[in-house]
Amino acid sequence: MIISDSAKKQIDIWIEKYPQGKQSSAVMEALKLVQAENDNQLTSEAIQAVADYLDMPGIAAAEVATFYENYNHKPVGKHIIRFCHNISCMLNGADDLITHLETKLGVKTGEVTKDGLISVKKVECLGACVGAPMFQIDDQYYEHLTADKIDDIVDGLK
Amino acid sequence: MASITIEIDGNIVNAKAGERLITITDREGISVPRFCYHKKLSVSTSCRMCLVDIEGVTKPQTACSTPVSDGMKIHTQNEKAKASQKAVMEFLLINHPLDCPICDQGGECELQDVAVEYGSDVSRFSEGKRVVAPSDIGPLIQTDMTRCIHCTRCVRFGSEIAGIMEMGGTGRGEDLKIEPFLAEGITSELSGNMIDVCPVGALTSKPFRYELRSWQMASADSVARHDLVGSNLYAQTYKGLVKRVVSGDNELVNETWISDRDRFSYEGLAHENRLLLPQIKVEGQWKEVEWNVALDFAIKGLNKNALNSRKAHKLGGLASSTATTEEFYLMQKMLREIGCENIDYRLNVNNLDDPIHLDSNIKLSDLECVDNVLVIGANLRLEQPMINLRLRKAQLAGASVSALNVKAFDYNHKTNHSTVSPNEIATILAGALKVILEKNSLEAPSYITNINPSELSINLADKLLDSERSVIVLGEHVINNTQAASIAQMVAEIAKQVNGKTLNLTSSANTLGAQYAHFLPKSKGMNTNEMLAADMSAFLLLDIYPEYDFHHSNSAVEALSKDDVFVVSLNSFNNELVAQYSDVLLPMAAMYETSGSHVNINHDMQSFAAAVKAPEEAKPAWKILKVIADLLELPGFHYENVTQVSEELKHQKIYEHKQDITIDLGKKSSAIETIWMHSAYHSDALLRHAKSLSSSKIGQTNSASMNTATAKELSLECGNTYLGVPVVVSDTVADRCVFVSSNQSTDMGRES
Repeated sequence: MIISDSAKKQIDIWIEKYPQGKQSSAVMEALKLVQAENDNQLTSEAIQAVADYLDMPGIAAAEVATFYENYNHKPVGKHIIRFCHNISCMLNGADDLITHLETKLGVKTGEVTKDGLISVKKVECLGACVGAPMFQIDDQYYEHLTADKIDDIVDGLK
Repeated sequence: MASITIEIDGNIVNAKAGERLITITDREGISVPRFCYHKKLSVSTSCRMCLVDIEGVTKPQTACSTPVSDGMKIHTQNEKAKASQKAVMEFLLINHPLDCPICDQGGECELQDVAVEYGSDVSRFSEGKRVVAPSDIGPLIQTDMTRCIHCTRCVRFGSEIAGIMEMGGTGRGEDLKIEPFLAEGITSELSGNMIDVCPVGALTSKPFRYELRSWQMASADSVARHDLVGSNLYAQTYKGLVKRVVSGDNELVNETWISDRDRFSYEGLAHENRLLLPQIKVEGQWKEVEWNVALDFAIKGLNKNALNSRKAHKLGGLASSTATTEEFYLMQKMLREIGCENIDYRLNVNNLDDPIHLDSNIKLSDLECVDNVLVIGANLRLEQPMINLRLRKAQLAGASVSALNVKAFDYNHKTNHSTVSPNEIATILAGALKVILEKNSLEAPSYITNINPSELSINLADKLLDSERSVIVLGEHVINNTQAASIAQMVAEIAKQVNGKTLNLTSSANTLGAQYAHFLPKSKGMNTNEMLAADMSAFLLLDIYPEYDFHHSNSAVEALSKDDVFVVSLNSFNNELVAQYSDVLLPMAAMYETSGSHVNINHDMQSFAAAVKAPEEAKPAWKILKVIADLLELPGFHYENVTQVSEELKHQKIYEHKQDITIDLGKKSSAIETIWMHSAYHSDALLRHAKSLSSSKIGQTNSASMNTATAKELSLECGNTYLGVPVVVSDTVADRCVFVSSNQSTDMGRES
C-alpha cells in the first residue's frame, strides 16, 4: 500500500478545501504527503497512486511532480540541502560556497553522501535574497552563509 | 454575439465581438504563422508564433488568444509584427535539430515551412542543443522528441478529444519533455491523430517510417469501411501501393479525426497472405490458372451443381459486411436473376428468425447536442470510436450518459454504468417503458402489466422523461441476446414516448449498404443460418473467413466443406481454411483498390474511387461479379464502370424484412451468458492482416472476462482458457456472464 490510511485522511482535508469535482487541485499536498511516507521519494507507482486517489490522469500528476524541485525521484539523504544559486546568492558568492560544500561532503550536487545522511541540490530562488547567500536544510533556512558557517551547520547534522 | 468591424492590415473586416483574432484571419485568408493553435483544440498560447501588432497596445499580442473588439486595428505584416514573429522563430529553432534530411516530416512540416519565411539563414546560438533520449511509445507512433517544440497539441488532443490524457509535459524549462507517463505508452484508439496534429517531426507514423517523402506520393480521397461512420480520409499512394493514410475533413462525418483502425488498416493490403492469382481445385490439388479458366471452372461448377438441374434454391450467396454497396447490389442482382433467393450478409447472428429492427434517426453531428444518452450493450470507444467521440462531447457539455452493459467498460467520459446480464436488459427496459407510459397516462401493453419496475428502470425512465433530446444507442453486444428483437422494439417505443432518437449500432461496416442493395433473403429465401443447416449444393462467397465471421463457425465450416458442395470464393486473402472448402478462388481487390460506395449511419452514400490498382491478378469484386453474370448470359449487366451500378441502385429504398414481434419477456436462458466480440482490430479481414494494429495494445486484447463467482461456477481461474481464450477474473463483469474480446479465430465456437 503506497498511500496509508493516515495520509489519505490528510489528503481528504486538502480535497475538502477545493470545490467539488476539483479534487485534483490537492495534488501538490498529496504528493508531498505520499513522498514523506515513502523514504522522501516519489516512484512512478506512488505518483500513479496519488493520481488514482485524486481521479486524475497519471501523467497530469507526473507533470506536477516533475515540475517542482521539492519532489524527489531518486533516493535522497536523510537531510536535503537546497542551495540557492539564483542571482542574489550568485552575486554574493553562492557558486564558490557550493563548490566548498561539495568538496567537504565529497559529493556533487544532485548526489547523496555515502552514509546516506545528506543530499545536495542546487535550486532556484527561495525568496530570501535579503539573507543571500543562503540554503535550506529540510524545512529550515540558513542565511548569510560563509564557508565556516557552512562547516558548522553541516557538522551538526545527524 | 454582436457584429463589429475591425481593421486588419488596412482592410475592414466584419467579425463578432469576442471572436479570437486567429479565427478571423483564417476565415479571411490572411496568413498568420502558428504552431500550437489548432481549430479543434483549446488555445494554449504556448508557441508565441502568431504575434501581431495591435494599435494602441504596446506589446505584440498572440492572435490565437486575443478576442477582438469594435474598431480594433491589427497589423499582421508590419515591421513590428514581422520582427516579433522572426524573434519567436529564432527561439523555436534554438533547440530544434537540423535533421530535416532524415526527418519523416520533411516536406510536410509546419516548422520547416514557417522557418523558410521567418527563420534566419544563420543561427546565432552556439551553445549545446537540447537532446531528448528516444522512447518507444507503441507500434503506431514513432517519436523523435528532440524535434519537439512543446506546442502541446498532442497533449491537448489526448485530454480534450481522445478523452485519455496519455501525453504530458514533464520536467521544467530546459528539461521539459513531452512524453507518456508509464512504459505502456500510448493506447488510445484515436492515437494516430497525434501524428496529424504534430506540427514537426516529433510524432510520425511508425509503419511509414523512412518510406517516402510526401511529395512523392499521390493522394486519393477515400472512405473507411471499418465502421458505421465512413470516415473521410486520404490514401497516399506510391507506385501502386497505399503507403499511408491521413485524415480528411468532413464536419458532418468525422470532423477532422480518424480512428487508428481507419488509419493503419492499409498495412493489411501488403500482407503475404493476399490472394493474388485465380486458382482452381482439380482432384484436390490447387492450380494457379488464367482468369478465363478459373471463371469457366466456376461457371461449370455452378451450372452443374445448381443451375442446370434447376437447383438454384440450393445455391447460397453470402458476403462480408465490408463489401461495397455496389458489390452487394451486383451479387444479389445476379443471384436473383438466376432464381436464387438465398442471400445474406448477417453472418454473426445466432438467431435470424427474429431480427432486430431499429432505425437510426439522428445525425452524427446532432449527437453532440443530446442531453441524455442511454447505451445498451456496447463498448463504444472501441467498437464505434467516432460515434463515441461525439457522445463524449455531449457528455462534457452536460449530457447524462447511462450504460447497460455486461461489463463496466472503460469509457473515456463520465458514465453511469450498470452492469447487467444480457438476460435482464429486456425486463429493465420493460420496467422503464411502464414507468414512462404511466407518466404519459397511457395504457401499458399486456406484456408489461406484470412488470414491477426496478429502481434502475425507474431511474432510467426518469432521466429519459426529464430530458429534451435523448438518444438511445443499441450496440453490437445485443445481437445475440435471446430477446434482441424485443429489446429493439422496446427501445423504439421508449424513444417514441420521450420524443427521443435511436441509434442502431448492432451491425457495423457497410451493413446499411447491404440493406440498400437488398442483400437479404426475401420471400422464400434462406438466411445464413438456414443455409448452413440446409442441404446446399453450391455457395458463392464474397470475402468470407468462416473462422472469424460466423457465429456458428463450426457448422459453417462443416457446411462449406461437404464433398458435394461447390464453393466459389471471391477473397482478398487466402488461408488454409478457405483453401480447404473452396473449389475456385477468385482474387478480389480490397479496400482502397476498388471503387464503390459506403452507406453510413446517416444514410449518406459516400462514393470513393480506387486509390490503387489491386495487386497482380486481383480484380475489383464488382467486375468479377459482372463477368460471372455475363458468362451466365444474364441480362442487365452491361456496366462499363461502377458509377453506372451506383446510379442504378441509388433510387432503391432500404430493404427491411419487417415482421411483427411478440414481446415475450419470459424467454430467458438459464445458462451462463457469453458475449463474444472480436477485438476492435480484428473485426474484418483487412484489419486482421494489419501488423502494427495487431501488435498494439488494443490489437493484443484477448480475454474472457468473468467475475469471481462465475469463474468459480465454471471452475476456472486466471491462466485457464474459456472457449480457447485466456480467462481474466474481474468483478466489473455482471454475474453469470462472460465477456469475450478476442483477437483469435472462433475455432472453439462462440458459445459455452
